[in-house]
Amino acid sequence: MSIEVIKKGRPRAYPPRPTECTVIFWEALTKGKFQTTKCNDCNSFTFPPKPVCPHCWSSSVSWKELSGKGTLYSRTTIYAAPATFKNETPIHAGIIDLEEGIRIATQLLEDDPIPIDSAVEIVAILYSDGPLYGARKPK
Amino acid sequence: MNRNVAVLGIAATPVGKYQSDASADIHTLEHEVLAKLVIEAMKDGGLPKEEIDSLILAQCRPYTQQKYFATFMANYLRMPCAASVMEVLGNGMTGGIALEQAIRDIESGRARAALAMGANFESATPSAEHMNSSMRATGDVDFHTPFGLTPIAWYAMDANRYIHEHGSSRRELATVAVKDRYHASLNPIAQYQKTITLDEVMAQREIVEPLGLYEVPPRGDGAVCILLCSEDIAKASGKPYVLVRGRGFYHEGVHQISEIPNDMIAFNSLQRASKNAYENAGITAQDLDFAEIYAPCTIVEVLASEAMELAPRGRGARAAADGETTLGGRIPISTSGGLLSRGHPAYVTPLYNMYEAVEQLRGDAGKRQVADARLGATSCELGNYNAAMVQILEAVR
Ligand SMILES: [Zn+2]
Repeated sequence: MSIEVIKKGRPRAYPPRPTECTVIFWEALTKGKFQTTKCNDCNSFTFPPKPVCPHCWSSSVSWKELSGKGTLYSRTTIYAAPATFKNETPIHAGIIDLEEGIRIATQLLEDDPIPIDSAVEIVAILYSDGPLYGARKPK
Repeated sequence: MNRNVAVLGIAATPVGKYQSDASADIHTLEHEVLAKLVIEAMKDGGLPKEEIDSLILAQCRPYTQQKYFATFMANYLRMPCAASVMEVLGNGMTGGIALEQAIRDIESGRARAALAMGANFESATPSAEHMNSSMRATGDVDFHTPFGLTPIAWYAMDANRYIHEHGSSRRELATVAVKDRYHASLNPIAQYQKTITLDEVMAQREIVEPLGLYEVPPRGDGAVCILLCSEDIAKASGKPYVLVRGRGFYHEGVHQISEIPNDMIAFNSLQRASKNAYENAGITAQDLDFAEIYAPCTIVEVLASEAMELAPRGRGARAAADGETTLGGRIPISTSGGLLSRGHPAYVTPLYNMYEAVEQLRGDAGKRQVADARLGATSCELGNYNAAMVQILEAVR
């Protein structure tokens, strides 16, 4: 059920800060495992992963692997980007509804625009300084 | 004790570019600009400064060097206050929160009169630098910002979803920009007053697909002061005033994107806030003569008009294209020129929207006057309308 890991030979423009909770997410992602936290009490997923359940406020959560399959809810291409991202413009981004019932926003890996409501899959992207993720048309 | 609250005086600078470069020999500074507006708004309302018990300041941008701006202004104008002296902050809703706090102080009886005001200076900071800060305001810094998402990128995704779901088009949405500019051409305090055509809007460079330069907000500076007081004081003044007839607020407990998939373009918070405000005022959307909507992009005005029940769901863009929201149309929206053309110094934008509503309701709007305007609505928001605030205002002349 693992997702593909793509390598990029440059550092991330704006690296996320791992915490004791989220470092588990980022380290698994590096190995092609896309997972998040799920509440042991009310069974709700949450994304980004959290040490508590935002829905019922339980502190009992477990890691659950996700399929990485979803559909594209919406998309855009950003031409006017923050200075930090000047070498990555234009930026393709979208909102994805994962099949487990979680909505996320991430970068899109695309040459031509992926149509809204079509299938996408999550891939891990290993930059020279650490991982991020993105979505593309299923291979 | 629950008293009626009125808006009695207003003053604002034209939206423009005032912020001086750090290396300038002579600077234009926020407090000097704002101090003049305070005196002007008080003169407009005809109140002595001793009546003011609250100063509620929209927080300044981080580029403003003077800190603790509220207490600084209390000193700058020698205004002892018995109720509140504070700065407030809530993204684009900042100016709205300033108004709301001033209203609460008067409503509760703690203040006889209050000033809601602010100066938003930012234009000397280039957009790409400014976005290094604003990209951290919309979304999760560790799970969204690393992908380069900017504030307006979320609105662009609203636009693409709307086009996809409702068979609209960028061209249909872009008619909002043409309408806004036409309104701004009649507004002496608007940042951009030269009318534009639909083809010109479509020909601008892309900023966030499907939105081009004229479909996203310009950057600018501005300052506004709004004088509010109890209705008895307003009545005793003998001047025309505007009654705050109803208010609504809702935050959906979501920061930018709901992890539980929802109908993102329904603007659920605005639906609830406007419904609350209409109920609070004892009116329906059909009773409104105009609406001054917080809409940083063309699509946002369309979605907000639907959420506020000013147009049927999925038909807001069509209504705008058909002229229903233009001056003289069924329900004029953003008669000031809106955020796109009147301008958008974000932290004080809701104060500018109040300024416009008061001009309309006092019959002072000149060539852009809505005939017989009695009831108007303002809205403001934060995130992707994840929170919304609505005020219903009534003319008393
Ligand atoms: Zn739970």
